[in-house]
Amino acid sequence: MLDLLANGLVNIAQWKYLLPLLAGTFVGVIGGSLPGVTITMTVIVVLPFTYGLDPLAGLAAMTGVYVGGSTGGLIACCLLGIPGSPASIATTFDGFPMARNGEPGRAIWLGVWASVWGGLLGAFFLVFLTGPLAAIALEFGPWEYFSLFVLAMAMVAGLTESSLLKGLISTAIGLLITVVGHDPIGSVPRFTFGSEFIGSGFSFLPVLIGIFAFAQIMTDLEKLNQPRGQAAESLIGVRLERFSHLKVNLEIFKQPFLLAWSTIVGLIIGILPAIGGSASSVMAYDQAKKFSKTPERFGKGHPEGIIASEASNNANVSGSLMTIMAFGIPGDAVTAVMLGAMTIHGIQSGPLFISQNPDIAYGIYAAYILAHPCMLLICFVLMPLMLRVTSVRMAVLAPVVLVLCVVGAYALNNTMQSVYVLLMFGVVGYVLVKLGFPLAPLILGLILGDQIEINLVRAIMTDANPWLFLTRPISGLLLLAAAASVVLAIWQHLRHRNRVAEEEPDF
Amino acid sequence: MSIGRDGIAGLVLLAISLVLLVKSFQLPSLPIVPVGPGFYPSIVLSFMATASALLVLQDLLKRRTPAVAGADEGPRRSYGLVVIAFAIVGAYVVLLPLLGFRVATVLFVGALQAALGRPQTARQWVVLAAIALGTAVLSYFIFEKYLLVLLPRGAWTGF
Repeated sequence: MLDLLANGLVNIAQWKYLLPLLAGTFVGVIGGSLPGVTITMTVIVVLPFTYGLDPLAGLAAMTGVYVGGSTGGLIACCLLGIPGSPASIATTFDGFPMARNGEPGRAIWLGVWASVWGGLLGAFFLVFLTGPLAAIALEFGPWEYFSLFVLAMAMVAGLTESSLLKGLISTAIGLLITVVGHDPIGSVPRFTFGSEFIGSGFSFLPVLIGIFAFAQIMTDLEKLNQPRGQAAESLIGVRLERFSHLKVNLEIFKQPFLLAWSTIVGLIIGILPAIGGSASSVMAYDQAKKFSKTPERFGKGHPEGIIASEASNNANVSGSLMTIMAFGIPGDAVTAVMLGAMTIHGIQSGPLFISQNPDIAYGIYAAYILAHPCMLLICFVLMPLMLRVTSVRMAVLAPVVLVLCVVGAYALNNTMQSVYVLLMFGVVGYVLVKLGFPLAPLILGLILGDQIEINLVRAIMTDANPWLFLTRPISGLLLLAAAASVVLAIWQHLRHRNRVAEEEPDF
Repeated sequence: MSIGRDGIAGLVLLAISLVLLVKSFQLPSLPIVPVGPGFYPSIVLSFMATASALLVLQDLLKRRTPAVAGADEGPRRSYGLVVIAFAIVGAYVVLLPLLGFRVATVLFVGALQAALGRPQTARQWVVLAAIALGTAVLSYFIFEKYLLVLLPRGAWTGF
C-alpha cells in the first residue's frame, strides 16, 4: 500500500498533474474566500476545464479546489465577519474577534496551519481506512446497497434545518428526475410524453449545475443591494501584523487532543453522506468549547475555536473522499461533481474502484496530500491578493460564473440540449429554494436514484422475498438505522418547536 | 381556512405525483422481469404523494394558530434583479446557437454586469467592456485552443 502511495506521490509530482493541482488549489482558495461563492460552485466552475485533461489531472484539479476552498473561506471569516464558504462558518465566531483585536495575521494563519495539520491527519485515515471500508462494501449484495442508499437519504433528509417533510419531498423529487427516460432493465420510455428532448432522460451534471450553481447565484442576486454582513466593521485592505509562524504552530500543537478530536469529528461528518463541511465546522467548534478549560473565552477571539473549525473542515474533505472511493456515494455536493467527472471519463466508482483503478485511487490520495503544501505555498505567496479578493463585487462575478456553468453543460456532449436542461433546472432550483425546500437531499436522490432502482430490481430478481431486506443482518441494520434517523429528526424538530414556543414572549 | 405557500406547494406536488402515478401504472410490464418499469417509479411517487399530502395538512394545521405580525419580515430583497438576470440568461441561451459563443458571451457578460450594477462613469464602462471581452476571449482560447473543448458556433455568424 505504501509503495502504491509513493508511486502516486511521484506521479502527481509530475508537472502534468502538479499544474492542474496547483491551479485547482489556487482557484479553490480564491473561490472559498469570496462570500457567496461556495466550494460546490467553484468546483462546478472548474469542471469544464477538466474535460480536456486526462482523468487523474482533472480529479487532481478538483481535489485541489476542495482543499483550497475549505481553507480559503477563513479569510472572509477573519476580515469581514462572514464566512467565505459555509464550511468555515464557525471560524467566524473567533477569527473575526481576534482580527478586530489587532491580530488579523495570527487569526488567518492559525486557521491556515490548522487546516494543513487537520487535513494531513485526515489523509492518514483516508489512505489507511478507505481500503478496509471498500472490502466491507464488497461483501454487500443488492439488498445491502439498497438499504445503504435509503439510510443515506434518510440521514440527509432528517438533517435539513427547515422541515423534515420538505427534506423527504426534496429527496423524492431527486429520485423522480432519475426515472424520466428509459428504464434501466427493459429500456421502456417513462414519463417522456413523446418528447425527444427528455427521451433519454436528464443528464446528471446539467441538472446539478442548474440546481446548485444557478439557484445559488440567483439567491445571491436578491441580496445585491444589501450591505455585506458586518461591512461597517470589516477589515478589507488591512495589513497583517508581524507574527511568528513557529509560535502559531506551537499554539496548535500545544493542544494535540483538540487537533486530533476536531479532525476525527470532521472525518466522521465527511464520511456521512451529503452532510458537508458547515456541519463539521460547527460540530467541532461545539465539541472544542465543551472540552475546553476556558469555554468562556470562546466567541471573543479564542485560538481554540479557530483551530477546531479549520482542522475539522479540511478533515471533512478526506471523509467525503473516503465515502466516494469506498462506496461510490458522494459525501457532499463537491464529491457529487467529482463523481460526475469520473463518469464522464468512464471510471466506475464503488468498492472495486481502488482495485480496478489503483493509479487513479492512489493518485487522488496523493493529490489530496500534496494539495495541502500547495495551499500553504499559495497562501504564503498570494496573501496580499487574497486579502483584497474578498471585496470583488457579485455584479462582476455572477456573469463569469454563469458563462462557465453554460460551458460546463454544453461541453458534456456538445449539444444545446444540456444547456436547456441547465436553465430549466436553474429555475426549478430557485423556486424550490424560495419555497424552503433544501437542495442537498434532492442532489443525493438525483445521484443515487439509478443505483437504488437497479439494486432494488436486482434484489427482487435474485429472490422475490421482500423480507430479505429486513432479515439479512447488514441490510436490516441499515434500514433500522434509517428509521431511527427519521424518528430522531422528528423528535429534534418537535423539541426545537417546543423550545421556540416556550421562548416566545407573551403579549 | 386559508392555505399558505407550503400548502400550495404541497398541492402542486401532490397533483404532479398523482398524475405520474397513474401514468406509471399504465407502463407495459416485461415478460422475463418480475417487476415492470413502473414498479420503482410508483414507489417513489406514492412516497412523494404521501409526503406532499402531509405538507398540505401540516400547513393547514399551522395556519390555525395565528402568526405574530411581522415575524417573518427580513431584509428587503431585489426580486426585480433576479427576474432581469433570468431574462438575460434566457436570451443568452437563445442567442448562443445563433451568434456563437464569442459574440453571445461578450453581449451576455456586458448586459448582465450593466443590469446588476449600472456603470456611472466612462472608466466603469471601459472596465465592464474589458471584463466582457476578456471573459469571452480567455474562455475561448483556454477551452478551444488549449483544452480542445468545442464551444457553440453561430448559425448567423458562422463562427
